[in-house]
Amino acid sequence: MSGQPAIQTRGLTKYYGDFPALVDLDLEVHRGEVFGFLGPNGAGKSTTIRTLLDEIRATRGSATILGMDTHAQPVEIRRRIGYVPGDLAMYPNLTGRDTLRYFANLRGGVEWAYVEQLSERLEADLAKKIGDLSTGNRQKVALIQAFMNRPDLLLLDEPNSGLDPLMQREFQDLMREVVAEDRTVFLSSHTLSEVERVADRVGIIRHGELVTVEGVAKLRAKAIRRIELAFDGAVDLAPFEALPGAREVTATDGRVSLSFDGDMEALLGTAMSTGALRDLSTREADLEEIFLTYYRDAQVVA
Amino acid sequence: MSTTAVVTRTVHDRWVGIVIATVSIGLLLVFGMAVYADIGTDVYQSLPEAVRSVMGIPAGADSATLAYNVMLGTMGSLTLAGLAVSIGASAIAGEEREGTLGLLLANPASRTSVLVAKIAALVALIGAGGLALWGASELAPVLLDVEVGAAHAGAVALHVTVNALFYGFLAVAIGAWTGRRSLASGVPAGLIVVSFMLAGLLPLLESTEPFVNVVPWHYFDGSQPLLNGVDWGDLAVLLVGVAVFAAVSVVGLRRRDLLARALGTSLLDHLRADPRTRRFAERLAGSTRVSSIAAKTATEHQGLLLIVAGLMFALMGLLMGPMYAAMEGGIAELAGQLPEDVLAFVGGTDMSTPEGFYRSETLGLMAPIAVILIGTVVAARAVAGEEHNATLGLLLANPISRTRVLREKTLVTVLFVVVVGLATFAGIAGGSLLGGLGMSLPNIAATAVMLVLLGLVFGGLALLLGAATGQVRTAVYGTTAVAVVTYVIDAFASLNPDLADLRLLSPFYYYRSTEPLLNGLPWGHAAVLLAAAVVLTAAAFPLFARRDLRQS
Repeated sequence: MSGQPAIQTRGLTKYYGDFPALVDLDLEVHRGEVFGFLGPNGAGKSTTIRTLLDEIRATRGSATILGMDTHAQPVEIRRRIGYVPGDLAMYPNLTGRDTLRYFANLRGGVEWAYVEQLSERLEADLAKKIGDLSTGNRQKVALIQAFMNRPDLLLLDEPNSGLDPLMQREFQDLMREVVAEDRTVFLSSHTLSEVERVADRVGIIRHGELVTVEGVAKLRAKAIRRIELAFDGAVDLAPFEALPGAREVTATDGRVSLSFDGDMEALLGTAMSTGALRDLSTREADLEEIFLTYYRDAQVVA
Repeated sequence: MSTTAVVTRTVHDRWVGIVIATVSIGLLLVFGMAVYADIGTDVYQSLPEAVRSVMGIPAGADSATLAYNVMLGTMGSLTLAGLAVSIGASAIAGEEREGTLGLLLANPASRTSVLVAKIAALVALIGAGGLALWGASELAPVLLDVEVGAAHAGAVALHVTVNALFYGFLAVAIGAWTGRRSLASGVPAGLIVVSFMLAGLLPLLESTEPFVNVVPWHYFDGSQPLLNGVDWGDLAVLLVGVAVFAAVSVVGLRRRDLLARALGTSLLDHLRADPRTRRFAERLAGSTRVSSIAAKTATEHQGLLLIVAGLMFALMGLLMGPMYAAMEGGIAELAGQLPEDVLAFVGGTDMSTPEGFYRSETLGLMAPIAVILIGTVVAARAVAGEEHNATLGLLLANPISRTRVLREKTLVTVLFVVVVGLATFAGIAGGSLLGGLGMSLPNIAATAVMLVLLGLVFGGLALLLGAATGQVRTAVYGTTAVAVVTYVIDAFASLNPDLADLRLLSPFYYYRSTEPLLNGLPWGHAAVLLAAAVVLTAAAFPLFARRDLRQS
């Protein structure tokens, strides 16, 4: 049983009327990894998760979770998963504690001591009513709810919303602990930075179609960065333009900026030998730029 | 920002409801007139003037104008007042509940100007509704070629409109003052029901008649506008109320903090907040109310259940016994003046027996409304409510099937309808005891059983509509529409033998045609209602299991 993938989809497709929300998704998420599911808003991330949870039914194709068919054995699957919905709503009139008790009662077998422990780590206020909590504090209750039954698979749909950086780190630690126990996290997000710190592999989805699945390191390597180098005095641009992977090289008053997806060591070497390097800044490649990389690659192949 | 946008948006959101309501009432008016006209007018021409006045029939009018009384005066006024309350309660408190008021007020518009815009929309909508009703009441007799004589249908329409505004503005005021929509719709709705009842009952007894002046509904039809035309004095009283409520709204909204999302604070919350009672309260209900889906669902609707069951027990049950005993003589005298066929004509109720009195006052309209209301509210929200609030996704992330969720919610629906039935039973039995009326206990029980079955039929319908569509609105409006139409079909078809077959389609026919209070449980009819309830409820399950859940 443990040999089966955490998630496996075959040609998973969902149409809303004529609109293709998800097209022929073939995905395999291994046990014991954090899998980042990355895409802009409306790309089909939530549709995928909701289909996996049997909230909505695939137009065609199929999916299994932990080896079980998502449509045939939804209850058995839900016993072994934790879920944070993207569009989070809970019962505003219940306190955090009552909310967790409610779900713990429905689930059965939840260790309350572990709930207390999680709530301490995330500094959650369980005495307040959900309706009186801020977005971030409500999110904490949702996270505890997802982690509290020590599920074999966590389906997290944009779980970071509203969490402050300190809590994000704690949350990342929680995810690392999960995979350390050979359990699995499926983490959907629209920002790369949120995913790359914890994920082993990343799937990118756009317009309902899976663009690629890559290891995080490889993805980063492929990503274009905007790099800015500041020198004392003017510098010659030619060595930078000659670097493989460098594009759009410009200079103003000793500041060289370029788009770069080549070897970082080579770039630094060139910079050091060209002039007196005073400062260096690099802006994170955003998702759109990574898409561009893939589209460019696709065009090269074609 | 021009607040005209607020007016147009509110009107845009609500006009469909007004149109559906007025068109339905218009159609029912035509239907009612046709039925009355078909029966003939001979019997009524022979009535003495005094009797005609009691019955609310204008001099020189065709019997068809009786339809004005029922459709316009009763159905029309209740419907428009109910719509006004719904619109009024949503005005401020509704936006607060949805969490949209903050966004609205982020625009450069003051609270007062937003409130004024909402009020303007309310007046426009209800005014249009009143005009439409007036139009329908003018059109109906022309279509059917019926003589209306001295009937003042326009006056009734005006009274209906102002009366509706009174309750609508009350709802706005409570919503603006508290920010709680449930309170803003519940209190005026309760006032409509209670004052409608009291306005009919208090004048029957000499000792209680003066108290009718404090009942708002009295200013709607106490002057019998259909007979006597517009009573400007009564309308002025209602309009003063409207003005007071408007002023209260402005002050109430300005003085308080806005709620991000309106939260109800129950007695239990107070007990839990207090350190002295916390442990006790936690033990009492803190963990009980989240112990299962059914328990949680039950606590969500317990306030409504308490009010409905309490009203049915105390007011509609217990109080009616002594009341009947007090005015037994007067009723018998009145009934004696009317020829038997006239009695049949106005609904066939013989008020001179305690059973007839209970049938007319409690079981005819109020008890069905009570069970249908409780059944529909709980069932319509069963899954559609969680879908609307986007909480169903999280709920169904637990290892429970959709079937189990629906089953537990169905259980609560049934339980609540049964509780209202029990309260009605206990109330009537107690009333019979208090008034020394000596009604048969088994027959009271049989009546309560039929009442429960009626509630379960409509509860089943609401469950089905909610489970199939995921929309609370569809479930509530759909069920209400079916209830009103089948009620009217039964009421009017009972007057006309030609329409007897049509009655078989109405649950109300099975509920009341055999008079269980006199004759005991009609097993056949009970079986029909039970079967209908089971089929509707059972059909909800596969429909819910099969479809995609809504995102919110």
